[in-house]
Order: sequence, then structure tokens, then C-alpha cells
Amino acid sequence: MLEVKSLSVSYGAVAALMNVSVHVAEGEFVSLIGSNGAGKTTLLNSIMNIIGHSKGTVTFKGKEITKLNTPKIVKGGMAIVPEGRRIFSNMTVKENLEMGGFTRPAHEVKEKLEQMYDMFPVLGERHDQTAGMLSGGEQQMLAIGRALMTSPKMLLMDEPSMGLAPLVIKEVYEKLKLLASTGLTILLVEQNATMALKYAQRGYVLENGRIILQGKASELLGDNEVKRAYLGKEYKEKWER
Amino acid sequence: MQFLYSGLTSGSIYGLVALGFNIIYNTTGIINFAQGEFVMFGGMLIYTFFTIFHVPFAIALPVTVLGSFIIGALFERIFVNFCKYKTEINLFTITLAASIILRDVAMHAWGRDSVKVDDYIPIANLKMPGGVISSQSVLIIIVSLLVAWGLNLFLKRSKYGKAMRACFDDQTAAETCGISVRNVRIIAFGVASFMAGVAGVLISPITFVTYDDGIMIGLKGFCAAILGGMGNFWAAVAGGLMLGIFESFSASIIPSGYKDAMAFFVILLILFVKPDGLFGKKRAHRV
Ligand SMILES: Nc1ncnc2c1ncn2[C@@H]1O[C@H](COP(=O)(O)OP(=O)(O)OP(=O)(O)O)[C@@H](O)[C@H]1O
Ligand SMILES: [Mg+2]
Repeated sequence: MLEVKSLSVSYGAVAALMNVSVHVAEGEFVSLIGSNGAGKTTLLNSIMNIIGHSKGTVTFKGKEITKLNTPKIVKGGMAIVPEGRRIFSNMTVKENLEMGGFTRPAHEVKEKLEQMYDMFPVLGERHDQTAGMLSGGEQQMLAIGRALMTSPKMLLMDEPSMGLAPLVIKEVYEKLKLLASTGLTILLVEQNATMALKYAQRGYVLENGRIILQGKASELLGDNEVKRAYLGKEYKEKWER
Repeated sequence: MQFLYSGLTSGSIYGLVALGFNIIYNTTGIINFAQGEFVMFGGMLIYTFFTIFHVPFAIALPVTVLGSFIIGALFERIFVNFCKYKTEINLFTITLAASIILRDVAMHAWGRDSVKVDDYIPIANLKMPGGVISSQSVLIIIVSLLVAWGLNLFLKRSKYGKAMRACFDDQTAAETCGISVRNVRIIAFGVASFMAGVAGVLISPITFVTYDDGIMIGLKGFCAAILGGMGNFWAAVAGGLMLGIFESFSASIIPSGYKDAMAFFVILLILFVKPDGLFGKKRAHRV
């Protein structure tokens, strides 16, 4: 469904991604893990053409989307839940969702709104509240809801666990699992390797802008290299907290 | 009380211009220094259709305000769009340069002399508590408030209005919703010019129109926007009204030659004391 071929991105003289190739099949849940500054956000943002890239191609549903602008890519069926959620904090919850449905016809938006409220009851309860007042977890749900309003075939998730309590993180992942079971294709990037790999079928490991490992998620979870580099670090971080 | 009435009249015009500044600033981060020229064009267009060609007002008015919208949208397409590196200083320079070009265009099209636009409604003085108010002033105040209210509805209810607000909040996130920020920017310039056009139509029977009117009215509107605080629409209206009232009250105590200076005195005071404007709240900036 998504095919990223030897993508390179640099910020000025700083190379952030070098020859990165990633593919995701239809209906797959794929996680890409990497530590701080590995280039995860850069990868997702350049797939969506939020930032430009210097080399490589991105193909989605058999069509090259490398040169399309972000709104066109969204219309084509790919949605992103950006890093830091980036909800419209001065608008209400309902308006945020409506904006997600910007490219969809009015009757579909209405239907989808109800679906979102069913899926995330808290959004229904708070539909008239200013989105900036929501808690971090609620904002993450809203960001996911907003992305789903675009009626995507594929969802890109940028660090859904960021800044959330473990219990809330689990809730978010359970929702993603549910979405995956309905046939939504998911590419998720995370520092939180344990969670990301536990829920995914396949995984990639990104380090300093290069893919250094890939394979079945369960195998990566057991991989010594991954354990040392990511899981170990996480345990240490948890310890420090 | 008389000062209050005349202050409210000029204040509602400042408010309309301030709204234009606000819309463009919030969607694009640009201070559009050609905002005053949009007002002047509104006046010149209604003069051309209504006074020169005797087009019935019911037709001349919609043609003028629609024309204003198109002027704003074209302004964005021509001047802002082609700016390759949209940094604040570049865009600032561009709108300033464009405002001078527009002024010269107007001078060649309509000449150097002031033109007088025929009255739209019969002139009468209405008795009010503590003074009189002219029918023209009443028209100006009512129409300005109606337009401001209409803009508010547009932003709150309509799909594109909401998209504009989404762009105020986060342009990148708006794009990930499928909203074309480019189209929103065109609409923002169109709407700002529309507001200015309405202001131009309203004042031209009272003040005459001259090709270089845009300078002062633009600066006053800008002062009103700063006074109210950028980023808040009702604050722009309130800023306009307050500036108008303040100007007209101050004219009663100090020589009227300083009237224009008062607006800038207010601005200095605000920037020294309360830089976010009277009603402004700090906009959170993402780094
Ligand atoms: N706008 C930018 N300008 C310059 N350098 C940048 C910019 N954004 C990211 N970088 C650099 O590119 C590299 C990759 O950044 P990126 O944000 O993609 O990492 P990440 O894997 O998402 O990290 P995190 O886990 O902290 O979100 C980093 O070295 C970063 O410093
Ligand atoms: Mg990141």
C-alpha cells in the first residue's frame, strides 16, 4: 500500500534521513522505532510532503505521491496524527473533527461525527468544549479522531505515547488495534519500543537516519540489539523517573 | 456626548479596517500595509459606478464590494504569492511597496483631486441625548456593526470560515486535514479587502476620496488593531471604536491639528504599557 524508496532528507547541511526504504502492505500494522532525533518525524512528514525531500520516491496505492502537496495526499486517503497532536486548541472538539472532514461531503461528516463519538465517548461528552482544555490523553484521542474524519485508507501515527501516563497509552494502543482490525493500514513511529512492537506485526529500527534492522515485530522484541539499544534504555528511563 | 457620536462614527470605520488587518495577520502572519489602499479603492469604485456612471446604488454597491474582494484576492496572487521566501521582513516590504504602487495606479486612474460621492440616504440630523447625530453616521455605525457581526458568523459557522480559524491555530495541522492554506490565504485577502471596501463606500460621501487616502486610514486602522490586540476579532472592533472616541474627545482639549497624532500617541502608550493590546491574549507560538 505504501512504498518508500531510498528517501533522503536533509535540513540544510544536516542529513536527517539517508536512503530510507520502508514498505507497508494493505491492512498491516507496522511500527518504526528509533531514539531521539533518529529521524522518525522527518520520515512521516516527508511522506506527507509537509517537508520536502531531496531524493527518493513515495508510492501510495500504486500511485506516486512524491510531488503532491499535503492536502492532495490527504484527499488520496492518507492521514497523519502529527507529533505533539497539534489539535486546533482554540476551536471546539466538534469543530476539530469537522475540520478533519473538510474534504468530505456534509452528510458523510455528520455520519462520521457520530462514529467518532461512539468510538471515543469522551469526545462526544466534550464536543462543545475548547479543545485546548482537554487532557493530554483526550487530545490524543481527538487528534486520532480528526485524522479518521478524513476517511483514510492508511494512518500515520507519530509518537502517540508522548507525554501520556501508561494506562492512557494502553488505551490509545487498544484503539489503534481496533482500527487495524477494521482493515485500516497503520504505520506508527515511536521511541516507546515495547508498546509499539507489541501491537505491530512488523517493525523497523531507525538509527541516525538509517534503517538498521527490520523484521517481524515479535522477533525485534526479542532481538538483543534492540533490547540493548531501546528496551534497556527505556527501562533505565523508567528507573530514573 | 457629541464627541461620543462623532467618535463612534470614525471608530466604526477604524474597526472595519482593523478587522482586515486582523484577518490577514492571523491567517498569514503578514501585516498588510496596503489595507488602507483597499479602503481607497472601495471609495473610488463606488464613485466610478454610482457617481460617474449613475449605476443604481442597489447594483453599484454589490459590484463595488465584490470588486473589492477580487482586488484583495488578486493582490495576494500577484504580490504575496510570488514572494519566494515568505519571511516577515520580505512580506512587510512587499505589502509596503504594493501599497505605493496601488496609490500611483489610483492617481493615474482617478487623478490627484478629491472626488465627491453622492449621498446614499437623505441627510438629516437626529436628536440624541446630549447632541445630534447625522443620518450618515447612523448608517455607518449600523452597517459596520452588521458587517463585523456577519464576519463573526462566517468564521463561526461556515466551512471556510472555520478553515480560516484552523489556519490561525496551526497551518500545518490544517494542511493535514486537507485544507489548502493557499486558498485560505486568498480568501483572507479577499475578505479583508471586502471589509475595507465597505468602509470606503461608507465614508466617501462624507470625507471625499483622494488617491492617497489610504495612508492615513490604513495607519489608523492598524493602530486600532494594535490597540485592541491582534488575534481577537471583537477586540479589533472595540479597538476601532475606542480609538475613534479617544480621537474625538482629545480634539476637544488639545488643538485639533494634533488629532491625527493622537492615534499614534495611543499606539506608543499601548506598546509601552500593554504590548498585547487591551484585549489581546498572548498567542502561543510553537517552536
Ligand atoms: N526543522 C529542522 N531543522 C533542522 N534540523 C532538524 C529539523 N527538524 C529535525 N531536525 C534534525 O533532524 C534529525 C531528525 O529529527 P526528527 O524530528 O525527525 O527525529 P525524531 O526521530 O522524530 O525524534 P523524536 O523522537 O525526538 O521526535 C535530528 O537530528 C534533528 O535535530
Ligand atoms: Mg519525532
